[in-house]
Amino acid sequence: MTCEELRGDYELLALGILDRSERAELDEHLSRGCSECTSALRRALVTNAYVMTLPPDVPMPRSLRKRVLASIGAERRNWRWIFYAWGAVMAGVLLALGWFSFDQRSNTQAVVSFLNASDTRQIVFPQGRVFVNATRGVLLLASNLPRPGAGKTYELWVISKGGAPKPAGLFDADAQGNAVYMYKAPVDLAQTGAVAVSVEPASGSQAPTTTPIVVVHL
Amino acid sequence: MFLFPFLFAALHAESDRELAERLKKRDHQAMADLYDKYGRLTYVLIHRIVRNVGVAEDLVQETFLRVWNRVQAFDHEKGALGPWVMTVARNRAIDYLRSVDGRMSQNAFELETSESPALFANLETEVLNSDRARRLKAAFEKLTVNQRLCIELAYYEGLSQSEMSERMKQPLGTIKTWVRTALKALRDELGEGAV
Repeated sequence: MTCEELRGDYELLALGILDRSERAELDEHLSRGCSECTSALRRALVTNAYVMTLPPDVPMPRSLRKRVLASIGAERRNWRWIFYAWGAVMAGVLLALGWFSFDQRSNTQAVVSFLNASDTRQIVFPQGRVFVNATRGVLLLASNLPRPGAGKTYELWVISKGGAPKPAGLFDADAQGNAVYMYKAPVDLAQTGAVAVSVEPASGSQAPTTTPIVVVHL
Repeated sequence: MFLFPFLFAALHAESDRELAERLKKRDHQAMADLYDKYGRLTYVLIHRIVRNVGVAEDLVQETFLRVWNRVQAFDHEKGALGPWVMTVARNRAIDYLRSVDGRMSQNAFELETSESPALFANLETEVLNSDRARRLKAAFEKLTVNQRLCIELAYYEGLSQSEMSERMKQPLGTIKTWVRTALKALRDELGEGAV
C-alpha cells in the first residue's frame, strides 16, 4: 500500500487499536524510516490528543489532588486520615471476627491459614486489600464501598485473561461500607487477570450488569 | 460546559519543556504543577470512558504515578508532555474497560507501545491549543451520527474496527470508510500547523 493509503490508519495505530493484520504494513513503512509515514504518525498523535479533550466537563473531586500528590510522597501524610484509616481497618477486623463468629472455629482457622499461607499474595487497592491463593481462593477486605441500594448487593467476579468474568459469590457490607468476603474455590492465578466487585440484584447475576466499583489487577 | 477554559489556562501556564525537566529532577512541586495543568483534562477523559467517579479517581492517580515513574524516559527537549499524559490516561481507562469485559490481553502490547515516551518526541511541545480544540469540536459535531459513533468507540471504548463492525452490526468495509472519513475531517481541521 502507498503512504497515502496508509495515512488513515495512523490514529488507530497510535491508539493501540489497529487490527494486527493491518499493522504489519505500517510497521514496515515506519521501520524503514519512511518520512511521510513518520510525519503522519506525529500528526496522528496530535489529532488523538485533541479528540481526547472533547468530552464535556464534569465536577471533579477536590480531594483528588492531595491523593495524587500523596502517592508520590509529595504531600505530608495526614495523621488524622491515618487514624481514621486504622480505625476502619480495625472495624473491618472486628467485622470479620463477627462474621466468622457463627462458625468461629472453622472459619477463623480458614482465614488465619489463608493469610499465613506462604503462597498467598496480597494486592493493595485504594479501598482495601485482596488476598489470593491458588488453592484457597480470594479474600476481600474493603472499606468505603458505595451503598448498593434497595434490592441490590455486591457480587465478586474472577476475571480470567481474555475471558469473561466468572461469578464468585454475593456479599454485603455494613452501614459504613466495610466488607469482608471469602470466595472459597481454587483460582488459576496464571490465567486470572483481575478480580472485581459490582453492584447486582440481590439474587446475583451471571455476568456484571453494572460498571464494577472495584477492579484489582493481579 | 466544555474544556476550552482549562486548555486556555494550560496554554498560559509554565511551558511543558520546563515542567518535564523539573519532573525528571524529581521535583515534587513539578508534580503538583503537572496535576494543576492536566489533572482536569485527564479526569474528564477517564470519567467519560469508565463513567464511574470512584474508578476515575483511582485511574487518575494511577496515571500521574505512571507519568512520575516513567518521566526519565521522556525527552523534555523534544517531547510533547500533554499528549503523552493524555495518552497514558486514556490507556489506563481502556485497560480497565478491557479487564472488566475480558478483552484485556488482546491489545495489551499495543496499548503499552502507544504510550512509550519516545513516541512523543519531535512534536511541537505546546501542542494543545484552545483555538484548535474549538475547531476540532466543531468539526466533530459536523460528522454523521455513524462517524461520530465510530470515533467514540475508538477513542473512548478502545474498540478496533472489526470490534466496531460486530458492535454496530455493519460490514467491516463500511466501518473503515466511516472511520477514515471521520478522521480525515478531524485531521484536516487541525491542519499541518498543529504538528
